[in-house]
Amino acid sequence: MAKNIERKVGLFIVITTALIVASVVYIAYKKDVFTPTHTYTLASKSGDNLTEGMPVVFSGFKIGKVEKLELNDNGLVMIQISVPRRHVKWLRTDTRFVLEKPIIGTPRIVVMTANFVHPLLDEQTVREMTVTSDINEIVKMIQPVLDRVNSIVTSADKLTAALASPQGDLSRTLANAQVLTSKLSQKDSLLEMAVADRESVKSVHQALTQVKDITGQVDAILKKVDAMAVKTDASLYGQDGALVSVSKILKDLLAKLRKLETTVDNVNRLSTDATGATGDLKGLRLDIEATIRSINDLAGDIDRLIPLKKEPEIRLP
Amino acid sequence: MAQILKTLGNPFVKNVLSAQETLAFAGVVISKVFSRRSYNSATKMVLVNQIYFTAVEILPLFITVSIIFGSLLIGIVFAVIKDLGLAEYLGSILMGFVVTELAPFITVLLIALRSSSAIDAEIAVMKVNQELNTLSLFNIDVLDYLFVPRIVNGMVSVVLLSCLFSILVLGSGMLFSFFIFGMGLDTYGNTLLNSTKFSDIVIMLLKCMTFGFFITLIPIRFGLRASHELTSIPVAVLNGMVKVFIAIVIIEVLSLILRFI
Repeated sequence: MAKNIERKVGLFIVITTALIVASVVYIAYKKDVFTPTHTYTLASKSGDNLTEGMPVVFSGFKIGKVEKLELNDNGLVMIQISVPRRHVKWLRTDTRFVLEKPIIGTPRIVVMTANFVHPLLDEQTVREMTVTSDINEIVKMIQPVLDRVNSIVTSADKLTAALASPQGDLSRTLANAQVLTSKLSQKDSLLEMAVADRESVKSVHQALTQVKDITGQVDAILKKVDAMAVKTDASLYGQDGALVSVSKILKDLLAKLRKLETTVDNVNRLSTDATGATGDLKGLRLDIEATIRSINDLAGDIDRLIPLKKEPEIRLP
Repeated sequence: MAQILKTLGNPFVKNVLSAQETLAFAGVVISKVFSRRSYNSATKMVLVNQIYFTAVEILPLFITVSIIFGSLLIGIVFAVIKDLGLAEYLGSILMGFVVTELAPFITVLLIALRSSSAIDAEIAVMKVNQELNTLSLFNIDVLDYLFVPRIVNGMVSVVLLSCLFSILVLGSGMLFSFFIFGMGLDTYGNTLLNSTKFSDIVIMLLKCMTFGFFITLIPIRFGLRASHELTSIPVAVLNGMVKVFIAIVIIEVLSLILRFI
């Protein structure tokens, strides 16, 4: 029985211890405890938010941690970071180191390398670390809004002060309104309060009555005009209305104009022909004139040859 | 006024004196624990028996509780941090809360409920039955033979069972995250690894050892306070268990302070 208990206890201790040791070794291996590391030194003006063991991150991945913090003779905080050998390639001569302080979560040192063609960072080089803070950024963004809110609050304050003041516009307006309402309560109507004369109110009342009568008369006139308009409408737009007749006449006229257009075309053609014929007439006239001139010449010759006149007369020039 | 001050001061002085005596007793026991002469074959046999009854016998219950409780807890933690959009802090929550705080606390509660009360009652009965005097008459050092094995057993058992609890919970969390939330095993492992700090593990181990030390030392101390009457046994057990509970709370608070210093 005792041997059995000893065996069980031994088994328990061995298995549990093996599990624990295996877990610790695995964690140590994964956390690069057994990997050789390189140490780099950064300088910062302030040690705020810096703690030993804080992570060094590249592209969101932890590539190292802060090993040691110390203040040098110049008042600068010297930060020693250790980076496992396999992550050294991310650190180049153009690498920037930024301390990020998120609103939620712990601060961390972010490594920013723009170009990997630069040579690897020398361990002896001391690089300066800059600081960014989410809270400060947010405060910077919120500051203009806060200024505006402050201005609004100041204005609101002024407004409420003016409202609360007995000499303020609102108080005076309310006082005036109070006077008005008290006056109104003493008068029969708002009109009486406005004109401050009872007779004038009566006149206005009479004028209004007359306006009512006039309105009735105008209404009757408008009815008559309406009836006339109905008749006019019938005479103009009815079956035998003037517009229908005018429309027929216009259609007839259009038909006649179409016919006349043909006639005009014919006249034009004739005039064109006549123009051509006029050219021929000119030639004919020249021919006739030439013929007449020939006949005249012939008659002259005849007269000269056969004097048919009883007294030939010779006129000298 | 003087009476009021006396009423208030008397229990305070008693408690301070009691704490002082307990710490003095702890000093004596610690010196014995680290002394090679304390360990002989009889002591070793008692130690093996104590470990068996405290840690090995409880294993089936402990593993079942660890898996059920761990799975439930991991499920709740996963659901909450997913809803809050804080998935990147899963590792910190699991390592910082489950491993370093919850595992030792659950383990120490289980062992205190089961073994501390048993030790308290056992020592009180031995005191009532004059067995301690008998052992002294036979020149057997009760510190070596009775107390050191029980206290070492407490320290060893709490450390081992706490680590086992952590491993089981994280293991069940891995399965939970894979099957329920579709998180890859590598992702889960890396999340945990990124949040693991050796300082936390060391603090957890120290805390477990302190728990184990005091949850066995205090019952022994209060068992020894029993008189020679049987009715003093339950009183001794009751007082001892209350003090054990207070000691657990004080150690938990001190460890938290130590972690955040």
